[in-house]
Amino acid sequence: MKKLLTVLFVLLPACALLAQENYFYINLDINTPLANTDWVSKTSGRGGKAGYRFMIGESRFSAGIDFGWAYFEEYAPTETFDNGNGHITTDYFKKLNQYSFAASGQYNWELGEQGLFFPYAGIGLGALHNEYVMAYNIYEDVDKGWGFLARPEAGILARFGKRRSMGAMAAVHYDFATNKSDAYGYSSYSAVGFQIGIMLMNR
Amino acid sequence: MNVMKRFLFFLAVLPALWACEPEPDNLRLLDQLVVSTNYDPDTQFADFGTYTIATDTIGYVSNTSRDTIWTFTTAQPYPRSVIKAVREQMDAKGFTYVDRDEDPDVGMNIYIIENLNLFQQVYYPNYYSNYYGYGGYYYYPIVQTYAQNTATLVVEMIDLKNRNANNQVKIVWNAYMGDVVNSVNYEQQSVDAIETAFDQSPYLH
Repeated sequence: MKKLLTVLFVLLPACALLAQENYFYINLDINTPLANTDWVSKTSGRGGKAGYRFMIGESRFSAGIDFGWAYFEEYAPTETFDNGNGHITTDYFKKLNQYSFAASGQYNWELGEQGLFFPYAGIGLGALHNEYVMAYNIYEDVDKGWGFLARPEAGILARFGKRRSMGAMAAVHYDFATNKSDAYGYSSYSAVGFQIGIMLMNR
Repeated sequence: MNVMKRFLFFLAVLPALWACEPEPDNLRLLDQLVVSTNYDPDTQFADFGTYTIATDTIGYVSNTSRDTIWTFTTAQPYPRSVIKAVREQMDAKGFTYVDRDEDPDVGMNIYIIENLNLFQQVYYPNYYSNYYGYGGYYYYPIVQTYAQNTATLVVEMIDLKNRNANNQVKIVWNAYMGDVVNSVNYEQQSVDAIETAFDQSPYLH
């Protein structure tokens, strides 16, 4: 009896998930940088994530691709810098502009028996491009580069109704990337983010 | 998927697109010039006591004009304003103004470097040419021209006291201030920038 219950517990959500073979999503992504907060530290709502995920066979696993972008900007009041044989005085904007690609995998559950709520947990692996910009007056100093990205993520999909393919999506994620910038003081990059948006299931 | 669903889905795209990189608040950055100063570490500025400077004329270097000087007029008081600002700062540092023929220790040189860059892009709207040469359509191309004009105000201190064997002089201090063209109030900001240049150079006297 116990085995039967276990099998049912495992198989039923999987069967429910089978009905939703794949989904597209687009989310607003709100991020807080954790690395080198001397450069940018404030939470930014200027970000987004979009992607496509599909169920793998009859399992509870899904896989897909994610595209993400985020933008951070902070104003620094007038400051005088020593540059060896002189000084430079200016106010400036500190900017971090980034986009990422990741292949991701998730493990999915079903909440309740209505087939409406599907929590998931997974990880994305890919690449992150960071562009660090110091903008002062009409001038810009720029450093940019790619790094390896690892992004654990947990979230939930919520369909708007039993017979509806559209739904909401919300997730939290932690980004760690190997992006380095000596000029801007980054030995690596990390951030935590919350994303919320809409998803469209294809059945 | 019906039209309504598509509409709702792409409506959700809008806030995400809002996140794309915007330009910083330009006015906030343009309300003061960037001031960069450099000095010769081998120079003993305390050895200098007198200076000279032109009264109404500053130098002018441009890739669009053959003029090499910019002279004060009532319609264009900029040269006199920046000369006056430099004189005030030199006086405040303890230097004494003398005429050119009174053997000054240093000469103050002021000039503007202006650089105009033009970029052109050519678009061919609705251009279509049939492979066999029949039925081709051609519209005149659209030429878009972008201009970027920048200018830097430069102040130099020239050591007239320690000439070398070939009677050559050395620039011992300079200040680069920009951008003058895109500033909100270039005349006042230039005067303010000159003050900042001397403030951040306490070694001058």
